[in-house]
Amino acid sequence: MTVCARAMNQTPVSCIPNSRMSKAKKVIDEARENQNPELDLADKGISTFEEMPGLLNMLQITRLTLSHNKLQVVPPGLANLINLEILNLFNNHITELPISLSQMPKLRILNVGMNRLDSLPRGFGAFPVLEVLDLTYNNLSEENLPGNFFMMETLRALYLADNDFEYLPPEIGQLKNLQILVLRENDLIELPKEIGELTRLRELHIQGNRLTVLPPEIGNLDLVSNKAVFRMEFNPWVTPIGDQLQVGISHVIDYIRSETYRYLYNRHLSAKGPPPPIENDKSKKISRAR
Amino acid sequence: MARNSDTLPFPTSISIQSLDHSKLYNRRAQSRENLVEKEITNDSNSNQSTFVYDYEELAEWKGFDKPPKLPPRNFKNAYCDTNDLKKQTTNKTGVTGMSLDDMFCSRCREGFEPHEKIVNSRGELWHPQCFVCAQCFRPFPEGIFYEFEGRKYCEHDFHVLFAPCCGKCGEFVIGRVIKAMNANWHPGCFRCEECSGELAETGFMKCQGRALCHTCNARIKAGALGKHICHQCHGIIDDKPLRFRGEVYHPYHFNCTACGIELNADAREVRSRPGFAANEMNELYCLRCHDKMGIPICGACRRPIEERVVTALGKHWHVEHFVCAKCEKPFLGHRHYEKKGLAYCETHYHQLFGNLCFVCNQVIAGDVFTALNKAWCVHHFACAFCDQKMNQKTKFFEFDLKPACKKCYEKFPQELKRRMRRMYDLNPKKIPA
Repeated sequence: MTVCARAMNQTPVSCIPNSRMSKAKKVIDEARENQNPELDLADKGISTFEEMPGLLNMLQITRLTLSHNKLQVVPPGLANLINLEILNLFNNHITELPISLSQMPKLRILNVGMNRLDSLPRGFGAFPVLEVLDLTYNNLSEENLPGNFFMMETLRALYLADNDFEYLPPEIGQLKNLQILVLRENDLIELPKEIGELTRLRELHIQGNRLTVLPPEIGNLDLVSNKAVFRMEFNPWVTPIGDQLQVGISHVIDYIRSETYRYLYNRHLSAKGPPPPIENDKSKKISRAR
Repeated sequence: MARNSDTLPFPTSISIQSLDHSKLYNRRAQSRENLVEKEITNDSNSNQSTFVYDYEELAEWKGFDKPPKLPPRNFKNAYCDTNDLKKQTTNKTGVTGMSLDDMFCSRCREGFEPHEKIVNSRGELWHPQCFVCAQCFRPFPEGIFYEFEGRKYCEHDFHVLFAPCCGKCGEFVIGRVIKAMNANWHPGCFRCEECSGELAETGFMKCQGRALCHTCNARIKAGALGKHICHQCHGIIDDKPLRFRGEVYHPYHFNCTACGIELNADAREVRSRPGFAANEMNELYCLRCHDKMGIPICGACRRPIEERVVTALGKHWHVEHFVCAKCEKPFLGHRHYEKKGLAYCETHYHQLFGNLCFVCNQVIAGDVFTALNKAWCVHHFACAFCDQKMNQKTKFFEFDLKPACKKCYEKFPQELKRRMRRMYDLNPKKIPA
């Protein structure tokens, strides 16, 4: 690896197979010639950033798409691309992200879905203008979120589907601008009542978890208008909720807004039964690959 | 006293130094603070009492209703007395029956020669040359002296040493001294800082570090409480004021221009000439007469509109009161969007009713691409996974309500696709095409 780096400083030679090098390099050269601010490098078989010489000096680019490659390491220097607004790293082999990404001044959309992230770096929540964060299909849980994760007040969409959350931290209530929250197929046992503070939420996906009850505060949200989507199937709901769900989502919402439900919910909490068992088999997830 | 006579030589041999060098002066300067008390303990009936400064502590009024009783003043103390310096009177009074051998001077402790003049003051005897001012060692002009702590001073030195200075004019205060606001004042110098009326007889109130008379204090207090002062009668307006031609009044000073009824605070000021900016021509009408005049009423503030009228949503509005229902900023002629009887600015209409592009988060200017509970600018609609542009004809898959192009969907791992299929099979109606 060190040999390669030294070689790059002079003339790009030999140590990387020629075919791969040319594929990525061709796109980069073209973009540089055309002054194209959007760089598409999806599905180019790239496994390291060394295969894309000069990329980190293309300060003019606003979008960088590297999905469907084999990248394992993201160099901290990627944050040099100060004009980048959209960074797509979907479906790679990334196990950790550099903290420098969170300093990128214009980054609005970050997609690191379908990777092998076991944790996020300390201070990851410092993004100044991040609006859409896609962490779908990784190995994340509440245990390995950084302390400032929920300080990203500019966030309007947060995708956490196909991860390993059992509890959602109550700090979720701080994401005042959140419109979309996706928690499909985690291991969630309960939701915090602070979710009721997300007044702008119009998409909530909690299907395929281990949820039995919903906090009554969810009744504060407008999840039944024709501009809202609420998906809650495939959970071991308590019978009354399950029955309402058979009739329709709006019946569930009407029910959890009732006094009857509030009573049932409090009784259910004080009973404190054992959590339902994990049913999702995640052993085949490609994010588990080593 | 004895010390003085021992240590002080005759005035002629004294070397002149500045006043600061005098221990006596310094000590007395300190004791000036205690002056008031000491003088009060003096016997006011004594002929010799030499009361020149009639200190009068003027306390601030604490209550609002009645001025406190002023402390009684003793005018007798305000004057000094001349002393009888004649030897004859001395013989007649204090020293009858005493032989010359038993008498000695209070200052130098020497005896008296036969036929020598003797000064008798309050039973004490002096050589004429010893009966002098303790400060300048000169005889007392016209025999007038002032006594303090057993020492006698001529009028000039007594003032220099002990007279209080007026906080306003800086001159000595002789006679009646007003002590107030941590300073001394001539009675004529201590005045209300608002109206300049004398405060010595009426008392004062302290208001933000200023001494004010009762009336001015009440007015300022009322102003601070947010109450208005009637421009006509200058009284405090306790209820709602009536605004008229730029001033505030008690409403009952006016009558309706049309029907003549006495007005209340609901009365309306009407521009006699529409569009005429100055308000000298305005007239007042009672609410009933005003309503008959057909002036449009603002749908927001319910007040008449006398300038530009905005008509929207079936109502009239003041230009500045026709605002976005979300951000409450006035449209000021900019385009607005109506929805369910409310008006919105462009940004908030789209934010609330969903025409912001999912990618750029901006109001969609041209055609809107709507799918998956979201909207896109036509040129921003792309696969969420490879960012490949898509159009109306492109087939795409739904994944967490994000669009996935066919190529990306095929790259999804088998186990994920299996789960997606299972969910779809069990719940087909929930997933939009």
